[in-house]
Formats: sequence, structure tokens, C-alpha cells
Amino acid sequence: ITCSVLHATRPLHTSKQHLAPLPPLPEKGGEVRYGLIPEEFFQFLYPKTGVTGPYMLGTGLILYFLSKEIYVVNHETVAAACILAVIIYGVKKFGPDVAAFADKLNEEKIAKAQAVKNESIEGLEAAIEQEKKEQWRVEGRSYLFDAKRNNVAMLLEANYRERLLTVYNEVKKRLDYQVAMQNLKRQKEQDHMIQWVEKSVIQSITPQQQKESITKCILDLKALSKSAQATA
Amino acid sequence: MAGRRAAIKAIDWAAFAERVPPNQKAMFNALKTRSDALSARLAALPEKPPAIDWAYYKTAVAKAGMVDEFQKKFSALKIPEPVDTQTSKINAQEQEAAKSTAEYVQASKARIAQYEQELQKLRSMIPFEQMTLEDLHEAFPETRLDKEKYPYWPHKPIADL
Repeated sequence: ITCSVLHATRPLHTSKQHLAPLPPLPEKGGEVRYGLIPEEFFQFLYPKTGVTGPYMLGTGLILYFLSKEIYVVNHETVAAACILAVIIYGVKKFGPDVAAFADKLNEEKIAKAQAVKNESIEGLEAAIEQEKKEQWRVEGRSYLFDAKRNNVAMLLEANYRERLLTVYNEVKKRLDYQVAMQNLKRQKEQDHMIQWVEKSVIQSITPQQQKESITKCILDLKALSKSAQATA
Repeated sequence: MAGRRAAIKAIDWAAFAERVPPNQKAMFNALKTRSDALSARLAALPEKPPAIDWAYYKTAVAKAGMVDEFQKKFSALKIPEPVDTQTSKINAQEQEAAKSTAEYVQASKARIAQYEQELQKLRSMIPFEQMTLEDLHEAFPETRLDKEKYPYWPHKPIADL
């Protein structure tokens, strides 16, 4: 007779692979009828007695116990019947809700653990990304040195050009100075000569000449005024 | 003239700016402003000073030999180029930087390998629904309760509950 014991399919750390993780537990327990008798019993009797076999067996057993007074009916029977009725009613009514509540508690624990795991995974991936990015950044160091060298070259070049420019400016300044000096001297000579000539001319005007020129001017003015009055 | 000018490489400042980490942005900006100032100064200076018009001065200046003397001395004058003292230092810096970056990259790769390993461990974990408490303690050693340090329940300081 092969009794199928529940969970016999679950190996218990005896094979060579006992260090591997266990296969998951079955989601629900074995099927039972009336909360007491496993389904396998009915299957076991089915080939010989069909569907009604176990029920007949059960009924017969109960009647046998009652009639032979192996089980005595007394006040405790009534109490047991009432208690059982209440219990069965309670379980049938509130069972699923309680089960859902318990499941929710479990779910929350698992969800928390899962969240921690996911965060760790994300953190690690971000860290890997960051490291890769830093490596990429580091590759750009040649830019820095190129910039520095460029700066140095530019500085040198600018200095050199400045020196050239300074030389040119200095030479030009000196030459221009010479030219300007010459011009100034020439101008001063001219001015002095003109002044001297003027002075000598003025000196040469005798008082006699002055009087003559003044009377001539007055005569001219009179003539002009006559002609002016005529036109006005 | 061959040795006079070290070639000024064109720098891609945009690409350079991308690679600067945020904590060094100030230094980068300082470098860029300095560089820009230098290049502006360089651009403002003419490459060659304008030629001096000797013919005009020869006719204008009265003193006879002066202009000729100036001209002779001017063309004979050789202006020394500024000496480059920094490029070798910069090259040395570059070598050092290459070395330190190689080290850093090495360390970085080691870190990446470590992260990858942890990632692998996390990814290949069995789902929580199938774990026993022992499995949980193996996967996350920090969940293990220290029964030696705290022999009485709840095996951790009350503040941690």
C-alpha cells in the first residue's frame, strides 16, 4: 500500500544537492474534505467503492460508535456541538478577512525588504555609472595641458611682439623729435625775422610821414562818406 | 623664424568644459578668462611693427649721417625672443598627471568590479517569498541578530526596534 504522505515530494537535505536553495513551499496545503479528512483517502477508496464508499464507511463507523456506546452521548456532546457550530460559523464568516490581513502584513514585510534590495541595486548601478563618467572626465586632461601650453606660447609671442613694437616706437620717436626740432627752429627763425622786419619798418616811419598818411586817410574818408551818402 | 613660435593649438573649450567636474568649475573659469585675456592681448598686437619710412626721414632730417646711422643700427638690431621656461614644467606635470590618472583609473576599475560583484549577488538572490530566515541572514548579514552581545530577547538594543 503506497500511502502518499503529504510533503513527501519535498526532499529534506539528503541528496547531494542539499546545499542548493530549497524549492518553494507549495502555496496551499493538501485538499481536505469537511476540514478533517484528506482528499487522498477518498481517492484511495475510489477504485474499490466508488464515490459513496468513504461516506458509507463514515456513516457506518459513526452508527457503530453510537449504538455500541463506545461514544456516549451526554451533556458534553451538546456543549461540543454548540461550540463547534459557533467556531465553524466564525471561521466561515471571518476567515477570509483574517487571512487577507495576515497576508497583508507579510506582504508589507516583503515589500520593505524588496524596496531595500531595489535601492541597493539602483545605488550600485548609479555608482558604476559615476565611476565610468569620472574615467571619461579624466580622459580630458590633455585639454588642460594644451591650454596651459597655449597660454605660455601666447604670452611669449605677445612679449616678443611688444618688444618689436617698443623698438619701433622708440626709434620713430627719436627721428620725429629731430624733425620736429628742425621745424621748430625754422619757425622760430621765421617769426623772429618777421618781427624784426616789422619793428624796423615801424621805426622807419618818421613823424612827418605819419602826419602825411593821417591827412591822406582823412581825405579818403571824406570822399568815401560823400559817395556813401549818395548811395544811401 | 622656425623656432620662434610654438604652435598654438586650437582648444575646444566646449568639450573641455563638459569634462570639468562641478567642484573644479571655478578653476576652469579662471583658466578660461586668463586664456581669453592673453589671446585678446595677442590679437591686439600687430605681428610686425610698421616699416619706418627711411626715405622721408633722409630728406627731412638735416643732420647728415644721423638717419643713415639709425637705419644701419636698426636693421642690425636683433630682438631676443623671450625664453620659454615653463613648457618643460608643464610637460613634467603632464607626465605626472598621466601616471596619477592611470592609478586612479585602476582604482576606479577595481571599484567597478566590486560593484559589479555585489550587483551580481543582489540580482541572483532568490525571491523573498521563498526565503527562510536563515537565507535572509545569509543574503543580508546585517539582519542577523547578535545573540552573544544581546543574549536576551529582542537581541538588539531597544532603540533599534
